[in-house]
Amino acid sequence: MDSSVPDFVLFLGRFHPLVVHLPIGFLFFAFILELYGRWNKNPTLSMAISLALFGGAISALGASVLGYMLSLSGDYDKSMLDTHFWFGIATTLITFFAWAIRSGKLNIAKLNGLKSNMAALTLVVVLVSVTGHYGGNLTHGSDYLVKYAPFGRTEKLVLPPIANLEEAAVYDYLVNPILETKCTSCHNSSKKKGGLSFQDTIAIKKGGKNGEAYIAGDVTKSEMIRRVMLDPHDEDYMPPEGKTPLTEEEKSILAFWIDKGNANFKVKLADLETPEEIASIASTMLGLEDATGKSGIPLPKVQAVSVEVLKDIEDTGFKLRELIFESGLYELVLPPQSITSKNSSELEMKLEKLIPIKDNIIWLSLKDNYVQDKHLKTISQFVNLQKLVIEKNPITDAGIGEIEANESITGLNLYQTKITALSFENFIKMKGLKRVYAWGTAITKEEVDRFATNENSPAIILGM
Amino acid sequence: MCDHHDKLRSNNRDLQSLERQLDRREFFKKTSLGIGAIALSSLLNTEKVWSAVDPFADQQNSLNSFAKNKLGLPHHLPKAKRIVYLFQSGGPSQLDLFDYKPKLKDMFGQDLPDSIRAGQRLTGMSADQTAFPIAASTLNFKQYGESRAWVSDAMPYLSEVVDDLCFIKGMHTDAINHDPAITFFQTGSQQPGRPSIGSWISYGLGSDNNNLPTFISLVSKNGSGQPLYSRLWGNGFLPTEHQGVQFRSGKDPVLYLGDPENYDGNDRRQMLDYLKKLNGIAYDAYGDPEINARIAQYEMAYRMQTSVPEVTDTSDEPDYIFDMYGPDSRNPGTYAANCLMARKLLEKDVKFVQLYHQGWDQHGNCPGGVKHQSKNTDQGTAALIKDLKQRGMLEDTLVVWGGEFGRTVYSQGQLTDTNYGRDHHPKAFTMFMAGAGVKPGFTYGETDDFGYNIIKDPVHTHDFQATLLHLFGIDHERLTYKHQGRRFRLTDVHGDVVKDILS
Repeated sequence: MDSSVPDFVLFLGRFHPLVVHLPIGFLFFAFILELYGRWNKNPTLSMAISLALFGGAISALGASVLGYMLSLSGDYDKSMLDTHFWFGIATTLITFFAWAIRSGKLNIAKLNGLKSNMAALTLVVVLVSVTGHYGGNLTHGSDYLVKYAPFGRTEKLVLPPIANLEEAAVYDYLVNPILETKCTSCHNSSKKKGGLSFQDTIAIKKGGKNGEAYIAGDVTKSEMIRRVMLDPHDEDYMPPEGKTPLTEEEKSILAFWIDKGNANFKVKLADLETPEEIASIASTMLGLEDATGKSGIPLPKVQAVSVEVLKDIEDTGFKLRELIFESGLYELVLPPQSITSKNSSELEMKLEKLIPIKDNIIWLSLKDNYVQDKHLKTISQFVNLQKLVIEKNPITDAGIGEIEANESITGLNLYQTKITALSFENFIKMKGLKRVYAWGTAITKEEVDRFATNENSPAIILGM
Repeated sequence: MCDHHDKLRSNNRDLQSLERQLDRREFFKKTSLGIGAIALSSLLNTEKVWSAVDPFADQQNSLNSFAKNKLGLPHHLPKAKRIVYLFQSGGPSQLDLFDYKPKLKDMFGQDLPDSIRAGQRLTGMSADQTAFPIAASTLNFKQYGESRAWVSDAMPYLSEVVDDLCFIKGMHTDAINHDPAITFFQTGSQQPGRPSIGSWISYGLGSDNNNLPTFISLVSKNGSGQPLYSRLWGNGFLPTEHQGVQFRSGKDPVLYLGDPENYDGNDRRQMLDYLKKLNGIAYDAYGDPEINARIAQYEMAYRMQTSVPEVTDTSDEPDYIFDMYGPDSRNPGTYAANCLMARKLLEKDVKFVQLYHQGWDQHGNCPGGVKHQSKNTDQGTAALIKDLKQRGMLEDTLVVWGGEFGRTVYSQGQLTDTNYGRDHHPKAFTMFMAGAGVKPGFTYGETDDFGYNIIKDPVHTHDFQATLLHLFGIDHERLTYKHQGRRFRLTDVHGDVVKDILS
């Protein structure tokens, strides 16, 4: 905690994590030799055991001294450090003690004999393990070891998914995830590099050795922003070399929160005047559609599809295109006239092939493929469909009835089908529907005009 | 490398097994020369040898394959699947078509205030004029549709579809002369040599119809003026198969596609297969990816022998369609006929159709010239938009209308009550877009009372290009191609997506 610690001491201190492995190795090896010697009834190992203990004791001493030097940097949580510190000292002392017994330097009649040897060695191993564990906690954080353990995993606080950008609390949904991925490995409650922790809001407000991490409403005076904005070669640059730097997008989110959001932990995007750029970054981060407006429609999260399944579908005659790289969202096109009235029975089979990826299909075109009403029943299972092109097919109002429950379709092309104004009712039921193309059907302009007076009715587009 | 012919293999099975044996000499030759060849070709064209796209895979196939687009595209959900770009070459006068400036009527003949021109450079054609008399448009403007968009009476057909259009009135560009300006618009650079927009999109997204080129350009025969060069639809440093293919006006849209006289074409497939084998051997020996491009083009030409006559045949179009596009549409090669052709190509999922219509360069006789040009283009443009809309294609087809720059508010040459000329003006002009992903019935940007400077929401050429790529799901900053040691992109180091016009 004294900043006047000579650099050279800190330099040596940083060798602690290196040297500390020597006693661990020596002492565990001594223990193994002891066990082996007993099992094998081979007393010749005795000398090796005392040598290993001696090596362990000396290196433990060295590691303790270096560890003390490292602790002077003040980067570690006091209480956790104390535990590690005293366990370290204890380990070193007990090791010397065990060595003394083993080598006969310490001749106490009561302690002679195998039992005491074994007891001392076991104690040493336990101590080394405990010390090592606390040391590890200091370096990696106390949740490091069991984070991925199959047992007793406390579920991380999961943020409820949000439907649109405005609802997102800037700190919880945008800032905190950045801090968690890029900062908290060094700035947490147990490992406070520079005295700074991003563990929770209280710690963040507290700041670090160099003062407050941010000044609400003033990006230029905010240390954390200054650090991440520096030239990467600068000594003060954060995160330090070897760690993943913040992306430009992440930097702008942090700056936005401090500047426009006044570093308020509760503020939502809706409360702020959000520039397009921030909205766009935010919706990308939150997995909403790349913002084209104030709030994007969330894109469905779907499972990736295996190449075999895709290949199978392609062999069926569909053309596939992934709409966003590695999103698992696809456009499917069945080339026109792949199906005619002559081979119409094949269509059912082709559509059945799509069932395994029914959630992955976003755009579907079956234009001019003799699609009939019954086929739309299959299509009704495609719950993430946004654009459906079924023009030039013998589809009637009954077919539209099959897909009336769909809520995701926005554009529906029914040009040159056999539908009539009776389908209007079903169009209204389709909640997401915005545009229906109905040129070349029995629907008349008068019917469309009358329909347009309904509230929330999709636009029916006719032709000349 | 001169002995590549020894790679020719025998058809005899015994000989084949002999050929497969690798003797010591062959081993050393292969290893040393092989490494040398890689080194050499990587020096010559780094990008192609270590290209992201496996040169051994069929180009079209690898770009479209479900097994990931290797370029990592699209970056986000596309709005547009295809585009028709109606390029009005010469620089249409925004002041006589869309950018209505009523206050100019009172200033007719007055000198353009210096504060407005602000020392802006002019072309050599009007720079030495002693006066810059303001020429208010002599055409009549009216507001149309629910969007109340202003259109002059030169374009009566277009005025019917304004509610589908998104006008950008604050366009500006860097170049002031035709060739650099049009090259700038189409390739993002005033200097020739960069790939055109269509080539970038072809490279990035590949084809949706393997029987037709991804990128097709059509130049109308009933416009004449500043010359157009094939580099405007050229592939620059991108692989050659991304070059735009020009469909010519007249009865033979693609030259040499038909079989020569007295040849029935029956053994063509066989001939091509053998040619492919030979080219494959050449590729093995030299590793030049242009050989692959050549193979792909032979195959494409073969498929086009059937697909092109089919798609260019308009005989099965009903009369009311011809009537909608206007009388010109029955005359192949005219702008209206090309608009109809464009629709047919788009229907076949050609990704990028680029039309050019020349003659919008009204240095003199501007009112008459604009009317004449409009007469040739207005009905076709409007009909194409209507036709795409009624077929539901405007849902995912982008329509772009615009020239390489605008025209000045002052008269070039003599100003009379009924006549004036207008010089090139890059600082403010109007374009419009329609369809996939852009706001219909919307006007973006504003110019001052003189139509000379932009006072609200300027859109630079690079911004327009960035927006266009954005609509195709491409982040313009991430579609790059490394050439001569540098990564190039369409928008160079500029461009911002104009989010305000996106629907």
